[in-house]
Amino acid sequence: MDTELSEISTFIRSIPPFDSLPKQVLAHLVRELTINYVRKDDYLPPKGINEPRLYILRKGAISCRSADGELVSRLSEGDLCDAFYHTETNALSNSQTATASQLQVHTDEDCLIYSVEATVLQNIGERFPSISDYFSQNSAQRLKNKMTQVNEEAILSSTLMNTAVSNFYQSPVASINADQTIQQAAMQMNEEGYSCLVVVEDDNPVGIVTDKDIRRRCVATGLVTSAAISEIMTRDMCTIDAKSNAYDALMMMTAKHIHHLPVTKNDELVGMVTVTDLINNEGHNAINLSSIIHKANNLTELKEISQLLPKLQIRLAKLGSSADHVGKSISAITMAFTKRLIEMAEYKYGQAPVPYAWLAAGSQARQEQLAHSDQDNAIIICNSMKPYDDAWFESLATFVCDGLAECGFIYCPGDIMATNPKWRQPQKIWQNYFTDWVETPSPKALLNSCVFFDLETIYGDASLLNKVRKQLLIKTQNSTLFIAHLTKNALNLRPPLGFFRDFVLKQNGKHRATLDLKHNGIAPVVDLARIYALSEGISAVNTIERIQQAAGTPSLTRGSAENLIDAYEFLGMLRVEHQAKELMRGESADNYLSPKEISKLEREHLKDAFKVIKSLQDARQSSY
Amino acid sequence: MPSTTLTNSPLFSWLLGYEAKRKQLLNKAPAGALRDFLSVPMPSMATPIDKVAILAVDFETTGLNAKQDKLLSVGFITLRQQQMSLKTSYHQIIKTKAQLEESNVIIHHITDSQKEQGQALATVVEALLKALAGKVMLVHFARIEKQFLTEACHHIYGMAPIFPMIDTLALAKRRLDKRDVAYDPSELRLANLRHKMQLPEHHGHNALNDAIATAELFMAQMSKANKDGKITLKDVLL
Repeated sequence: MDTELSEISTFIRSIPPFDSLPKQVLAHLVRELTINYVRKDDYLPPKGINEPRLYILRKGAISCRSADGELVSRLSEGDLCDAFYHTETNALSNSQTATASQLQVHTDEDCLIYSVEATVLQNIGERFPSISDYFSQNSAQRLKNKMTQVNEEAILSSTLMNTAVSNFYQSPVASINADQTIQQAAMQMNEEGYSCLVVVEDDNPVGIVTDKDIRRRCVATGLVTSAAISEIMTRDMCTIDAKSNAYDALMMMTAKHIHHLPVTKNDELVGMVTVTDLINNEGHNAINLSSIIHKANNLTELKEISQLLPKLQIRLAKLGSSADHVGKSISAITMAFTKRLIEMAEYKYGQAPVPYAWLAAGSQARQEQLAHSDQDNAIIICNSMKPYDDAWFESLATFVCDGLAECGFIYCPGDIMATNPKWRQPQKIWQNYFTDWVETPSPKALLNSCVFFDLETIYGDASLLNKVRKQLLIKTQNSTLFIAHLTKNALNLRPPLGFFRDFVLKQNGKHRATLDLKHNGIAPVVDLARIYALSEGISAVNTIERIQQAAGTPSLTRGSAENLIDAYEFLGMLRVEHQAKELMRGESADNYLSPKEISKLEREHLKDAFKVIKSLQDARQSSY
Repeated sequence: MPSTTLTNSPLFSWLLGYEAKRKQLLNKAPAGALRDFLSVPMPSMATPIDKVAILAVDFETTGLNAKQDKLLSVGFITLRQQQMSLKTSYHQIIKTKAQLEESNVIIHHITDSQKEQGQALATVVEALLKALAGKVMLVHFARIEKQFLTEACHHIYGMAPIFPMIDTLALAKRRLDKRDVAYDPSELRLANLRHKMQLPEHHGHNALNDAIATAELFMAQMSKANKDGKITLKDVLL
């Protein structure tokens, strides 16, 4: 064993993808290294080296510029430079490498540089695909592999996903004969402490009866308690096989709005699983929270429930849920809060004078909200409203917005709220707003109004918004100027070029200690998706759905769409994990990620994600 | 015939002296590794340093006294044009009869059992002379390598060659002395000099690691001192 080269081996082993190599192969790779010392203000490759090589920066700093002088990346200790890895050999077959070969690599400091011939890595790659994959792929492909892996992990790490129903069900199942009376069923429930019985006839299960059925179908309707239990039981009951996973059981119960699910084995009844059994296992769960919110009687109770929201986000992140899932869960809960508050307001102020709809804008509409983000909302009212009707809507808006604020959803700093008279208008005024924005666009007005291009009905008459949206999308598809202005605004937010040492290198070259995940990564993708949707007449508002639906249209190729979704999901995952850490420490969640928080490999993936976003922004820019 | 001015120049007389000595020794040397080594001429003293073939060498020994102490291991690597390939690196532990002193074992991490797997001193010296032919030896603190190699050759061949050396410690010392400011001698240690040059952390006491570390330090020194590329072999020779 080459213990004498231990220092170099240790260094190489710390760099992905070499960290995956077995010891002997790593030792072989190390012996193939060449060490160069390149002075400041010189260029790579070092003099006398012509063959394709991979360069590994041991010490110093280098910058890579494209042929037109734009800074593409800056590299420091431990970074790999593959600008000269593909040259000559396959520059013609691969357009990605053709541009790479035009890179100018300049030493910004004195540099100690290791390098290895491409052929050596190619030979190693024949036996270790992780190496060949890493160097043969472009950044988009690397990111795709990472996201596939992440999704698999998410599925594996969710306990309900990999636990069979058989671990949860209660057995034996409490049953009652179909000819028994309702009263006998109620007594049996009391004695045995069950809220649900399976009804059997000749030992065959024929239905299910719950305490709720007794209340709803017997007591409330005045049916005598001496009637047969078969009178009130639910026939055609759903069952689930004991081998199914617990997640499927939960999904089935959520979809059918049931709390009890009989479990069968070879078509024979063996037990019963309840929502509570599963939820106790899953901790604070979205379904659970939604149902408590719905039952809350007053604002004080809602406020208490809202304090569980950060816990839910932590829980979801710990379970390895994707950012998409977390966003949808949190948004669903915000929606439940809003709905419950509207119901309370309607109870307090009486029914609405005319039909209306409560709208969510921005991240909530896109179903991408995280715990306690600010509220963006609006009201659209039927055109038949009279001027004096507004008083009722004002009361509603004040009640709901104040209530949301009490529950931790801070007032919108830009005053995009239903309490603002401007955003509490009849349908025709909304139509005028959109007509103005689209037909006579000004960049500044668009900057403030782009949140309204992500709008969803939370409560009330959905047709009010749908009609406006339909006309809007016809207009946007044909308005080049509008799309151009929207694009111009969107391109104000650019992803950083990458990491340099422990800093994130921003476009202007100034260092910052942290990366703003929201503005430098997530928002640019959201903006791009909005542009694709509006130019292609897509009505979806969720970013992933927009990208999926735009895939294959003139705006976006299918390949680019997949890459963009991967980048978006990766950034979202980093944000969810970052916020979970903060929430666990009892801090408020933000979007500022310190590069030290993430592994070297994650940094590489982050760079890849930035590259994907940047290339699609560039494509957008050049089309106008 | 060389011209009068050249004959009188110190450079010429040095080279003349060195080359003359080499030829003199070549005539006496027994056939084999030593003779082969001596038969290759030295690079010219006027060669720009970037063009000189260099062998960075490090010895690990049981002590500082070449007469009493023993060579434990040898490491070297070729440095050419500000570049070294690890393929040219060599590391070998030497089999000796001397008991390892405990204190040194701790420093060098060479235990008795490892030493048993070593090769004979003659084999290792032969490999070193073969690699060194036509090159200049680069070391940090020349005394050890100079004396131990001389002693080993005496032991094996009954005579010692002469070999030109570059010493990174001496180069650093020259610079510090020029400043005319008092300095702590520990500043001249390999690890400290590397640190000052912003080279990676180095944990010494393995012959090959140290040889590589010395070569890297030399490249950094030359990068600073030789910006105009005018430094020749003569300027850096010990």
